[in-house]
Amino acid sequence: MTRWRAAVAAGATACVLVAGFVCRELARVGVHQGYAPAQPIAFSHKLHAGDSHVPCLYCHFGARTSRHAGIPPSAVCMNCHGLLQKQSEDIEKLKELVAERRPIAWIKVHNLPDFVYFNHSQHLLAAIDCQSCHGHVERMTRVEQQSPLTMGWCIDCHRMRGGDPNAPAANLDCGKCHY
Amino acid sequence: MTHDLKFWNRSPERDDSRRDFLARLGFALAASAVASCSRAPVQKAIPFLNKPEEVTPGVASWYATTCAGCAAACPLLVKTRDGRPIKIEGNAESVRFGGGTCAAGQATVLSLYDPNRLRGPLWHGEPASWSEIDARVKPQVAAASRRGIVLLSGTIVSPSTRALIAEWSARFPRFRHVVYDAVSFSALREATHACFGVAAVPHYRFDRAKTVVGIEADFLGTWLSPVEFTRQYADRRREGLSSGGVQHHQFESGVSLTGSNADRRVAIAASEQGAVALALLHRIAADARVAEPLPRVEVAIDDRAIDRAADDLWRDRGRSLVVCGSDDPSTQVVVHAINTLLGNIGVTVDLDAPSLQRQGDDAAVEELIESMNRGDVQVLMTYGVNPLYDFPDAERFARGMESVALSISFADRADETANASHAVCPDHHFLEAWGDAEPIAGSFSLAQPTVAPLFDTRAAQDSLLEWLGKPPDFYSYVREFWRRELFPRQDRSRTFDEFWDRALHDGVYDDSAPRVERRYALAEGWRAAAGAIAADHQRAVSARGPDRYELRLHETVAIRDGRHANNPWLQELPDPVTKLTWGNSIAIAPSVARSIGVATGDVVRVVAGDRSCELPAYVQPGQSPSTVSIALGYGRDGAGKVGNGIGANAFPFVSASAARRAYLRTGVALQRTGRHRELALTQTHHSIEGRSIIRSITLDELLNERSEPAPERPSLWPEREGGEHRWGMAVDLNTCTGCSACVTACQAENNVPVVGPDEVTRSREMHWIRIDRYYDGADDDPGVSFQPMMCQHCQNAPCETVCPVLATVHSSDGINQQIYNRCIGTRYCENNCPYKVRRFNWFQYAGNDRFDFTMNDPLERMVLNPDVVVRSRGVMEKCSLCVQRIQAEKLSAKQEGRTLEDGRIKTACQQACPASAIVFGDLNDPNSEVARLRRSRRHYHVLDELGTRPNVGYLMRVKNAPRGEPEPL
Repeated sequence: MTRWRAAVAAGATACVLVAGFVCRELARVGVHQGYAPAQPIAFSHKLHAGDSHVPCLYCHFGARTSRHAGIPPSAVCMNCHGLLQKQSEDIEKLKELVAERRPIAWIKVHNLPDFVYFNHSQHLLAAIDCQSCHGHVERMTRVEQQSPLTMGWCIDCHRMRGGDPNAPAANLDCGKCHY
Repeated sequence: MTHDLKFWNRSPERDDSRRDFLARLGFALAASAVASCSRAPVQKAIPFLNKPEEVTPGVASWYATTCAGCAAACPLLVKTRDGRPIKIEGNAESVRFGGGTCAAGQATVLSLYDPNRLRGPLWHGEPASWSEIDARVKPQVAAASRRGIVLLSGTIVSPSTRALIAEWSARFPRFRHVVYDAVSFSALREATHACFGVAAVPHYRFDRAKTVVGIEADFLGTWLSPVEFTRQYADRRREGLSSGGVQHHQFESGVSLTGSNADRRVAIAASEQGAVALALLHRIAADARVAEPLPRVEVAIDDRAIDRAADDLWRDRGRSLVVCGSDDPSTQVVVHAINTLLGNIGVTVDLDAPSLQRQGDDAAVEELIESMNRGDVQVLMTYGVNPLYDFPDAERFARGMESVALSISFADRADETANASHAVCPDHHFLEAWGDAEPIAGSFSLAQPTVAPLFDTRAAQDSLLEWLGKPPDFYSYVREFWRRELFPRQDRSRTFDEFWDRALHDGVYDDSAPRVERRYALAEGWRAAAGAIAADHQRAVSARGPDRYELRLHETVAIRDGRHANNPWLQELPDPVTKLTWGNSIAIAPSVARSIGVATGDVVRVVAGDRSCELPAYVQPGQSPSTVSIALGYGRDGAGKVGNGIGANAFPFVSASAARRAYLRTGVALQRTGRHRELALTQTHHSIEGRSIIRSITLDELLNERSEPAPERPSLWPEREGGEHRWGMAVDLNTCTGCSACVTACQAENNVPVVGPDEVTRSREMHWIRIDRYYDGADDDPGVSFQPMMCQHCQNAPCETVCPVLATVHSSDGINQQIYNRCIGTRYCENNCPYKVRRFNWFQYAGNDRFDFTMNDPLERMVLNPDVVVRSRGVMEKCSLCVQRIQAEKLSAKQEGRTLEDGRIKTACQQACPASAIVFGDLNDPNSEVARLRRSRRHYHVLDELGTRPNVGYLMRVKNAPRGEPEPL
């Protein structure tokens, strides 16, 4: 009888564990935290933004005026690499593509769902650091999505006024982002 | 235990045991859990190789250009996002056209992405290259210099293109340019030439006219230049509030948009246009003491209607206007005579700077067919015309074309005429091309490409240049033309580059050269015209008889002469008056419908001479009992996937006799077929049942009666906490004409899907804004009223209280928000909305072959606004007050460090409105225009008694009572 009870208890525990696992996985559907795909050119943010102190907005200049921060046109890479002597396999690849007039098909790391509107320039205007959402990209050799980019995560920051209690209240209206 | 085991293995022989079921369930659950852990598809981000300076992904660029949706040539601003034109707006720089557009103009951007456009040139129906085409055409053109080359085009408003055509005339002595308008204004041009020696259509100034009399001219909907006229008309109605009222009498057979806006509308038989004009001339001539006798005709309408119109005209002489849409030159001569006797020439009828919008010459087209049949035409080029569809005797034209050695069509698709041509040289869409326009003499605008050509097309002008042996570069040609012709006539810019850049930036340029005011004396001969009308009238009367009707053919606001037939937005745009989508019908007066026993939707055969067609009947209150009306532009078979086979072609009914085309037939018989076809109507109940949904006020009441504003009703709801803004809207019913430009503008801005005729029949159209049209009074002479209806953004919104998932909630700035990703589609909100403005996505309309209209083909989807979500199946949607525009303007104010001024945010409907009837703004700001209008005595809320406290309000229509007699209550 005891064995029978132990079996039931073990079964129940297993069920609870499986259910818990399933629920946890379901809650993470569409959340790609930790996503770090290999890129066609092994561009290192650590080398550029970290060691060489290239400002984020030098390349991602779209963030100043547009909803998209944008990926820099190859011509921006060539601003420096057209002059720099240092060579590597990937720099060769870049120069080849530029010579062939082919753009680079990067793999998008940070994807927001289609039903939400997000504007980079608006957050820049509110003096939100790039790192608040993207993590310390300047320390990443390969870019990884650090934040969950879920609505709860957005709202948390909006409630905290971006961490600055003196900042003007960030809007919590649904229609601020969903239209 | 054993029992239990037995239970588990109850039926070992069956293979779908409970255990198997559980095993499968477990597997499915595990599989779906594993599947859901997998990554979403990899998305690529491909940047520019070298970014053009003026393009930033995600930021819109605007280009000034000129609309080619019809010959009115309204100046436009085109919004492009990431290289794609996505929205048309009117160019507010233009003094004459203002910032408004019409529904068709709004929809032209969708035609750019029409999948039925040709991908490249065709030679005998087979794809060819441009060099092949040129190699074949050039020798023919050279050889034809002896036998004759004809360019058959629609009205060409581009002065540079006219100059280019003049070069062809100079080069080839046998070259002829024939202008053909499917809906011809030939009679008016002819009459203006006969009366004043000016072979043009006058430019009318409705804004200067206190009294307007229209005879079968739908000048607010389709006639000549509707956007400009609507703007003028609205201005004069606004001014009328302070200048003692304005009057508009309309005499017409069917119910047009213009007639339904008139202060007094009189139904006449279609053949009585001349008789009405003559009767008016009688009264005016008597007032003006013209001694000579004029022939008299009997008109089958109330004399008092003519008297009232004549009295108003005479009282406002010099500030009045008579316009007539007749295709009979004698009638137009008589109308000119009336305007001359009233002293309107030079004031409301401008002949010094005439309209160049319609230049078709019916006689020349007839002559062309004859010379084609004689074999005198070696090369025929058709540009912007489709005679094999819209010429009344298309077969005769087709026979003529057969004897042409080389026929070339510049059509953008394999339409009826292109299919019968040897070569098709597809022209650019106007959003891909350079050009210019001079719709009214001295009033210029430029057209520039907003996108690189999508396909291997070539501007028709480039083809003409190439075959003339000149470099095919119409851009340089236009520039050269402006340098040569326009630059020397101004003194504002010192260099040509400065002049050109300014003109290109502004989009419009008005000739500043001082106008030479000429005196126009009416040529003799108008008395003869009066005699001709009397004789014609006798003939029309004798053609009448029991069961014999007259047939009047008219254009619709959306499809016009059929050129927009493949545009799904326009096919689904409800006609302002009938509210019919996806097809045409026969409008029949209620009394006639009763007597012949047909109801709306019953299919009727119309027989006129040797022509007949079958169409569903539409019982139209206010329709003349002696006349039935059919809309032109339907029944295409060369339009494309959307327009083919929709409705029936009424062009064969146009009578083409004695070198002029007439859009009316007498002696028409109606036969019942016994069949019934459900019409795709968006409104089937036509009365407001005496409720005060649409309110009006007389000018006298408005000016003289003082009344306290009604106290706000008590409410059980707690007051809403106010935010920084409270967005609101005021719609002026006094100036709204019901033209429906706002409906299409909203559709373009907000990615509103097209659902097709079947779904419209089930009342599932998705328009966020609709124009309600109601009739009141007797059904032979009803009053017509229009009311744009969209989400009222109630402060106490009934929809919000019933949503179980809070998918519709109020924002801090007064907007009733709809959150698509929260919505689970209970449709409680739709049921609880008293205004019936919520729309449910019954299907997945995007990327669905069943709804192959605007969101299926990847090419069509290029028109979508990336700032607005495409909604999926099962969610509710509705007007958002263009929240994306509010957010964008708020952000740009913040970025530029300025306060958000009133009037900066314009909703799509407001921007498109040619009458400026819609005002949007912040109700919290007491100085805003919308707050000022809200304090007006004319302001009210629809269904105020429900206590919904909407943020959208309406301004009552002001009734212009007949002068000299009190308005009956």
